[in-house]
Amino acid sequence: MAGYVPGGNVIQFSGVSKRFGAPGGPARVDALADVSLEIPAGGVWGFVGPNGAGKTTLFALLLGFIHPTAGTVRIRGLGPRHYVRRHGAAYLPERFRLPGEWRVRTALRALARLEGLTRAAAARRVDGLIERMGLAAYADREVRTLSRGLNQRLGLAQALLAERELVVLDEPTEGLDPLWRVRFRAIVAELRDAGRTVLVASHDLAEVERLASRVVLLEAGRLRRVIETDAPPDGTGATYRLELAVPVPELAEVFPGAEPIEGDAPAAYRVAAADAAELSRRLAALLEAGAVVASVQPLLEPLEARVRRELGSEADA
Amino acid sequence: MSALALAALALRARRRRVLALLAFAAVFLAAALTARLLVSRGEGGHVQMDRLFEVGGYPLVSALLLLGWILGRYPLVATLVMLAGVASHDRLEGYARLYAVRPTSPHRIYAARAALLSAAAFAISAALLPVFDLIMLGTWAGPATFVLILAYIIVYGGMVALLSVWTRGDAWIALLLALLSLVWDALRRADALAIPPGVRDVITFVLPPQAAFLELEGAFGALQPIPWDAFAYVAGYGAVLWLLAAASLGRREV
Repeated sequence: MAGYVPGGNVIQFSGVSKRFGAPGGPARVDALADVSLEIPAGGVWGFVGPNGAGKTTLFALLLGFIHPTAGTVRIRGLGPRHYVRRHGAAYLPERFRLPGEWRVRTALRALARLEGLTRAAAARRVDGLIERMGLAAYADREVRTLSRGLNQRLGLAQALLAERELVVLDEPTEGLDPLWRVRFRAIVAELRDAGRTVLVASHDLAEVERLASRVVLLEAGRLRRVIETDAPPDGTGATYRLELAVPVPELAEVFPGAEPIEGDAPAAYRVAAADAAELSRRLAALLEAGAVVASVQPLLEPLEARVRRELGSEADA
Repeated sequence: MSALALAALALRARRRRVLALLAFAAVFLAAALTARLLVSRGEGGHVQMDRLFEVGGYPLVSALLLLGWILGRYPLVATLVMLAGVASHDRLEGYARLYAVRPTSPHRIYAARAALLSAAAFAISAALLPVFDLIMLGTWAGPATFVLILAYIIVYGGMVALLSVWTRGDAWIALLLALLSLVWDALRRADALAIPPGVRDVITFVLPPQAAFLELEGAFGALQPIPWDAFAYVAGYGAVLWLLAAASLGRREV
């Protein structure tokens, strides 16, 4: 990763639009419209949205496969093609495939050579990845003989051939069994902990929620919202689980609308506060009234519910 | 060279095409051997056409002449077959994106591939043409054979490469242009083109240089000295195509 500088914004989309098809033609499509977004270095970002929302187009623009109709894309201040030629990027496409007659090990070694690895280094790296991705038994098989899940693991292997700052994964868990989904999460966690910037597009909202701290919601080529998965929804205030070791009758006065959480501890309540300052004031009042607080935890609304609310009836994100 | 491993895989993926070209070559060799067996060696050491006429009449002589005509264009066929889809196939199948994210220039990737596939087309053609000559003529055309093969590869390899950067069906379009240039050149020689001379010259200039190819084929077929001026023209025409292909490759969306 020559030239890698930690921190700062890695990726900047400024008013980016992309149209496909001839002007005035029947196939004219606005795949992206006026998207502006800044993504800082490090961390995992999710990209969700209904089919045709523009997730794959956004990635194609980011990696320089296609050029924007309007606006600019910059990665560390460079045009995408310039950045990728200089630094490379880890990429798993939505429908990954390699020529069927290629053999797994040979194909990975050839791609590793394109990463700039020497023949010996490529062989070592590929053997390690084949082992890690559970492909050892298939290493000398032709790619066409692999099942969907094995092919997806091969796709992950080729994306990880070199250590790149930018990691772009389009539907990475498609076809993976539950065990390999768990392993995939561990891989993403490793990448995140190593300071990589990981972008993941998926229709699996639960998976995205597990992986990403920020989720970009796209709809019909437009950026609808950037959702922080570890923060309460904007404008709705926060909801907390409050467990009292010693309950007091003043709870209803201090936290209007407090209600017991069914199936939880006997003195566990759902309470609301607009922000952290209000929560602190109310808790102080509760303690003054003689209550003993066992724990306070934010209750987060699942990503799926937030996406459904944003998109209205279109919930197949 | 890091791109060579990938180029070797591309060649391996075309092994059926290589086999098809070898089978096609075998047809020529079988025909030449048949002609040799039908008639004995003449005074010049080559198969005598009048003896063939006595054995099989016009059909046999015509078939052999046609075979000879096609043989001269075998390098064209080999080039089109080997280089078909050299870049467009990757774009169509999505492989181009897998290569584009690596810090290796696409020019290196596709230059290595085109060079290896062109070398294969050259090798197959260079193995067939002299053997055919030896059987039919009792001698071979010498370096003119290799110059002719090289000329076809430079021009039609460049044409397929350029078309492949922009569209699918590259080899078919190149074949169409090759046939068009044949017909055009024949009409031009017969002075049968009823269009203004300026337009005629422009079209002749843009189409593959069939007149120069005819000179090179003449040297190959008649065992004449190599017309280097014709080769230089052909090489220049081909070089422009290769340069345009390279310039396009960096701009093309994948």
